[in-house]
Amino acid sequence: MTRKKSTTTVIAVTAAALLAAGWWLFGPRYPADWSDADLALLRSLSIDSLPPLPADPTNAVADNPIAARLGHRLFFDTRLSANGAVSCASCHQPERRFTDGLPRGRGIGLSGRNTRSIVGTAYSPWLYWDGRKDSQWSQALAPLEDPAEHGNSRLQVARLISEDPGYRQAYESLFGALPDFGDRTRFPDRASPIAAAEARSAWQAMSTADQKLVNVAFSNVGKVLAAYERRILPGPARFDAYVRAITAGDKTTAQNVFSDEEVLGLQLFMHQARCTECHNGPLLTNNEFHNTGVLSSPGELPDRGRINGVRLVRDDPFNCLGDFADDAARNCPELTYARSGVELIGATRTPSLRNLGGTAPYSHKGQSATLADLLKLYNRAPLAMIGHNEVEKPLGLSRRELKWLEAFLNTLDAPLAAEPEWLTPPAN
Amino acid sequence: MYRRLLLVASIALTMTTIALAEQNESWLTRSGYYRISYRSDLEPLAINRIHSWTFHVETPDGKPVTGAVISVTGGMPLHNHGLPTDPAMTAETGDGNYVVEGFRFHMNGAWELFVTVDVDGKRDTAVLALTL
Repeated sequence: MTRKKSTTTVIAVTAAALLAAGWWLFGPRYPADWSDADLALLRSLSIDSLPPLPADPTNAVADNPIAARLGHRLFFDTRLSANGAVSCASCHQPERRFTDGLPRGRGIGLSGRNTRSIVGTAYSPWLYWDGRKDSQWSQALAPLEDPAEHGNSRLQVARLISEDPGYRQAYESLFGALPDFGDRTRFPDRASPIAAAEARSAWQAMSTADQKLVNVAFSNVGKVLAAYERRILPGPARFDAYVRAITAGDKTTAQNVFSDEEVLGLQLFMHQARCTECHNGPLLTNNEFHNTGVLSSPGELPDRGRINGVRLVRDDPFNCLGDFADDAARNCPELTYARSGVELIGATRTPSLRNLGGTAPYSHKGQSATLADLLKLYNRAPLAMIGHNEVEKPLGLSRRELKWLEAFLNTLDAPLAAEPEWLTPPAN
Repeated sequence: MYRRLLLVASIALTMTTIALAEQNESWLTRSGYYRISYRSDLEPLAINRIHSWTFHVETPDGKPVTGAVISVTGGMPLHNHGLPTDPAMTAETGDGNYVVEGFRFHMNGAWELFVTVDVDGKRDTAVLALTL
């Protein structure tokens, strides 16, 4: 009798313990209330905190509508490539939030890294994963001469502008007379100081004055492309509607906008998952360089990232301090005070988290096919293959918590804030 | 009536002193050679914006220090990383004041700055803690 009684007790206690554990692990969980500090952080992440579009003093036509229209036409023009098949929009596809859905960009060949979106890049002091460019206009020049992307040379780009009557007219209304690049004794077929060997020797054979003429026209092409690109901005997402409601004390609207799982995901995002350390501000990026232990692409050496990028941007003739920047004052604090150092080995630039939904795969070589894969990696905090992973300890999030985090991240998707005409190829 | 006025005046004086103390917080360097304070061009301090600071350097007994070279390093001790930029002194504007350009903080949290003052080889460093 006693034994039977004690067996029953053991079973009952075990069952109760299992139930309690099950409830704790899998039962519903409700988000805690936001503190004042949380609300302040939420406000800072909202798109309502995005300052007005910053001026670009290095680009005199940045806000010129004629320049934007010319840039729009060039952005979609495949004649800017060596094989006539690649335009900026081949990799920066408007319907994919100006990315391409591929691990690495594919132009004429296979690009070195994952295609980053151009959305909101007017706000960033650095461009590319390694920050090897310091303005939108300077960045726009690089793919044109990259053998794996447009595969062109700057002289061919300048010649296209001078030979297309529509381009020439728009260009000259902005920048004054464009030289005639038709004289083949002065201006060979292909010439560039950084393109293929044949184009490099042709460039060396040109006079310094003619090289300058080409460089000016080429840099102006970057400037009109930037005048277009800076108009492509992220729009308000469901997250921003939630912040608006919760900071106004409107809990009913907040509950209608966000599910409990999304609120729990947001709380993890701001605290335990440590995301806002780098993904901060209204674009959810600090545009800085961090080594987060992202694995190298299979079969490749780890990417050296910013440690190379900072050297490249300092040496770039099209940087903020260079001869082709329009700001006579040469006021370039970001470039002047850019730092180097071992911390930047393997560090890449924090991407914006707005519109993640349409921009898979993720990381600098597209190593993570899905958001869930990427979150798992951050949760593990692996040792960096080179350099030092800033996230030193695993985050310790459960599977359920990772799902909440992913649910929250998907609330950052939204239609772009750009005139519809900019999101399709130009009419003519 | 006179007492009440005195009370109001003393409260006002105390509040003013507190406010000034907050604005003019100063730090003594480790070996006690210099006392430094700063004023940021960006007030209040905010993340992700590049800006300049003006440091004021004086002796512990309050005399402005001229002819100094100021250098700044630092980082976030809890995150094991340094400053995202490399700030540099660009001008001495007189009366113990020095402009250091190129500050940017890219994360909220606790930062630590090591400000070194060097006057003809007499170097000393102050540690400034700030939270963004």
